[in-house]
Amino acid sequence: MIKRAMTTVADASTGPTRNLIPRRRSWNIVLIGMVAFACVSVVSSRAEAKGDNFNDVVKVIERFYRVKHKGIPFLARAGMKTAVTAARIAGGSKRRLAEVGSVKVAYFEDQEFSSGNGPTAFRAAMNTALAESWNPLIQVMSPKDEEQVYIFLRDEGEKYKVLVITIERRDASVVQVTLSPSTLKKLIQDPNDMGRAINAEATTDQE
Amino acid sequence: MKSLCHNPVSSLLKLAALAIFVVLGAGATATAQQTARIQTSSLDHLAVKATQTVDVNLDESLMQLASKVFNSKDPDEARAKQLVTGLKGIYVKIFEFEKEGDYSPADLESIRSQLRGTSWSKIVNVNSKKEGAVEVYLMSQGSQVLGLAVVAAGVKEIVVVNILGNIDLEKLSDLEGQFGIPDLEIGKPKRKN
Repeated sequence: MIKRAMTTVADASTGPTRNLIPRRRSWNIVLIGMVAFACVSVVSSRAEAKGDNFNDVVKVIERFYRVKHKGIPFLARAGMKTAVTAARIAGGSKRRLAEVGSVKVAYFEDQEFSSGNGPTAFRAAMNTALAESWNPLIQVMSPKDEEQVYIFLRDEGEKYKVLVITIERRDASVVQVTLSPSTLKKLIQDPNDMGRAINAEATTDQE
Repeated sequence: MKSLCHNPVSSLLKLAALAIFVVLGAGATATAQQTARIQTSSLDHLAVKATQTVDVNLDESLMQLASKVFNSKDPDEARAKQLVTGLKGIYVKIFEFEKEGDYSPADLESIRSQLRGTSWSKIVNVNSKKEGAVEVYLMSQGSQVLGLAVVAAGVKEIVVVNILGNIDLEKLSDLEGQFGIPDLEIGKPKRKN
């Protein structure tokens, strides 16, 4: 049976007229491949756009600085006020900055953030991870103070989400909130101060 | 011998390829229209020397959003709405340095070379040994303003502001201190000490 198959292959590759069909097929295969690749690229970029990239950002920080994050559930179990603050802005009695039920916080506490290839390389890694579906609103790097702040915005039709990434010498945080309209106005008008305020609301221990 | 064009699969694939080229072509046209956007990536190497680097990007979609969300009935918001209406983008880059000489005037050459084209005209040029140089450029097409660029080279600071859309000096002066634009004091009377 193998011998027969080999004979068929040999037959197909001999003679000028028989050569034409496989060549045309190979062209078609190349063209189908190109179109399929274009379609897959579009579909995959849309699929990626549907995810909110929050976990991707946390992973970028973990890989770049070789650190581990603490999520809100852990903090809540530990009874830390960060969780209370996050819950408060997520819809509690003192809700100020975010829409109901829209806060995600990852916190990196007392770890080393001065390692890695420097803030410029980290910024490039962050921008690459978020380039598909987030707009970089403001990015502040202060190498001397070992502080970095990145604020990204994302249009979700009726709603806007903001992602605030803060890296300091020993701590870092990633905060994602769906913005209330009043906060969105303030963020556009004063991106630097408002971005820091969103981060402070979600991560500080103030009542 | 049959031509490849007579193969229905090939025809379909050619149509698909044509559609892809049309989409790519439309993208290229849109890019060509944004000529008032200056490229500042050539300054990125300064981030290593700078004590602080700030990048602000308010693109067209955010500008449109801003003009929608600000309430015309609130006097402050109405003013902000009026300012952003007609703007297609605000891009700001700031580098702060610890000491004099941490950057060279040649570092700004890549920016100035983009503004030397015939479509840009320098409308403000202030030189001060103490405070540095401030240049304001305007790009217009006939009576339509397409954008504005500010290059401020202080002793220990570089500021590049690029605003796309319908903008003038008065509007720039009003925009200072908000939307990520630093207070450049352009067009404002000098404060008396």
